[in-house]
Amino acid sequence: MAGLVPAIHALLRSQDVDARVKPGHDSGESGDMFQSAAIIGVGQSAYTRRPEAGQTVLTFMRDAVVAALKDAEVDAKDIQGMAVASFSLAPDAAVDLAWKLGLSLRWLAQDTNGGSSAVSMLGNALRTVECGYASPILLIGGDATGLAGYAKVAANFNTVTQKHLAPLGHGGPNGVYALVAARQMKKYGLEKSDYGHIAVAQRAWAAGNPNAVYRTPMTMDEYLAAPMVADPLSRYDCVPVVAGAQAIVVGRREQAPKARPAVRVRAIQHSFNYDHQQGDGLQTGIGTFADELWQTAGMKPADIDVASIYDDYPTMVLAQLNDLGLIPGNDMAKFCRTVIKDRTLPVNTWGGMLSAGQPGGHAGGMNGISEAVLQLQGRADTRQVKDAELAVVTGYGMTMYRYGGTAGAAILERGP
Amino acid sequence: MSEGVAIWRCTKCRTGFFPEPLLCPRCHNPQFTTDTVREAVVEETSVIRHMLGQENWQPRRIASVRTSDGQFMTVGLRDESGPGARVALFQEGEAPFGRAKA
Repeated sequence: MAGLVPAIHALLRSQDVDARVKPGHDSGESGDMFQSAAIIGVGQSAYTRRPEAGQTVLTFMRDAVVAALKDAEVDAKDIQGMAVASFSLAPDAAVDLAWKLGLSLRWLAQDTNGGSSAVSMLGNALRTVECGYASPILLIGGDATGLAGYAKVAANFNTVTQKHLAPLGHGGPNGVYALVAARQMKKYGLEKSDYGHIAVAQRAWAAGNPNAVYRTPMTMDEYLAAPMVADPLSRYDCVPVVAGAQAIVVGRREQAPKARPAVRVRAIQHSFNYDHQQGDGLQTGIGTFADELWQTAGMKPADIDVASIYDDYPTMVLAQLNDLGLIPGNDMAKFCRTVIKDRTLPVNTWGGMLSAGQPGGHAGGMNGISEAVLQLQGRADTRQVKDAELAVVTGYGMTMYRYGGTAGAAILERGP
Repeated sequence: MSEGVAIWRCTKCRTGFFPEPLLCPRCHNPQFTTDTVREAVVEETSVIRHMLGQENWQPRRIASVRTSDGQFMTVGLRDESGPGARVALFQEGEAPFGRAKA
């Protein structure tokens, strides 16, 4: 199995996952979460910083759907279920999109969990396919808010933001995560350049992704010289807003293209409002289920070859990696200066949202899942991780007040 | 502007919350009384130097503070108070602000 360098493997394997399992938990046989349901196709639209006339969230979604159906070798008339997540679909709703796509369905959902919508929709679709109610199911995420539209979304994200944050001129998510980053730097002894290692490494990965909006390699000096947005976050710490869409097809394994095995999901977990916003935000909801996730998958952190970690900010990449048990000894600084800098653990191999762009958190999260699928199927071209067999994907979102309140994660496996 | 910031105190377990809950997260009691917190300690600060969609934005300071009653709040800072400083809380509309205690 390819993946981590031996030293990192040894460090991670020294963590006894079984010993961390919550008392009383019984997950049954490892890796048996889904016998039938799997991911059978992925697709995306073009990404752009500034949509042209005639480009709307609906046209981006259409392009992603067409690409995913082609990839899955599924005819649109055979789709039985659909889920969609978007900040800019309104006033249309999921059923309007189904109508416009010519889909007659027996299962339909609209997800509102932002950066964890992708994992939420994936979990709901897998469970629906597994129980035999509908298959295949099409998952769609996309946004085309434009910068002004995004600012409006950020200022009106929820009633708490409207009442208690926006009147401060809090800067939207940038301001919220600036405070979380300052807290994280203090607690873990991080330097600004530690976040830089994440941004620089992901930009290097993005060079191999023709769909990324920023592909030119970036140096640490360039990262450090970038203008401050919300101290301590500077330009390259803040995810660039783009327009675009992603789609994923979930179905029974036998519905996958014959020449390409489906990607199995060994385990998937979700968390919503894990601490009532009364913590420090340095742990995410992933921390509530990580042990169960690994045990259900029959895996441990050291087994992972590829990681797609939701990356609206480098701060939250580190928080999620730590919650997953992927940072030995919780030593974030050392991890950034070695594993991330040297890219010995392939994290966000499509460039992540920090380089590829964030077409809303929904589609951004779906891009991470899609990249894991491509890697596990050996279809990631020049950014392919050799012999990738196992991937972890995460989602994190919905900045309710002081940090995000939703999270999800899944362990994906190359099909037989 | 009014001195202090309104919080919501559970009538059963007496825990104070900000923002306003519907049920107490600790005991799920639906009844609250309003109270006022007047002081906090600054824990982290930031300067918002750029705002999407705004061309003539003037930098503003915000902070994460812990009130004397234990709540975590994000406030606008009206002076150069930094981490560790005690600030007096005040409210404009429903938004909490702080400045160094006189």
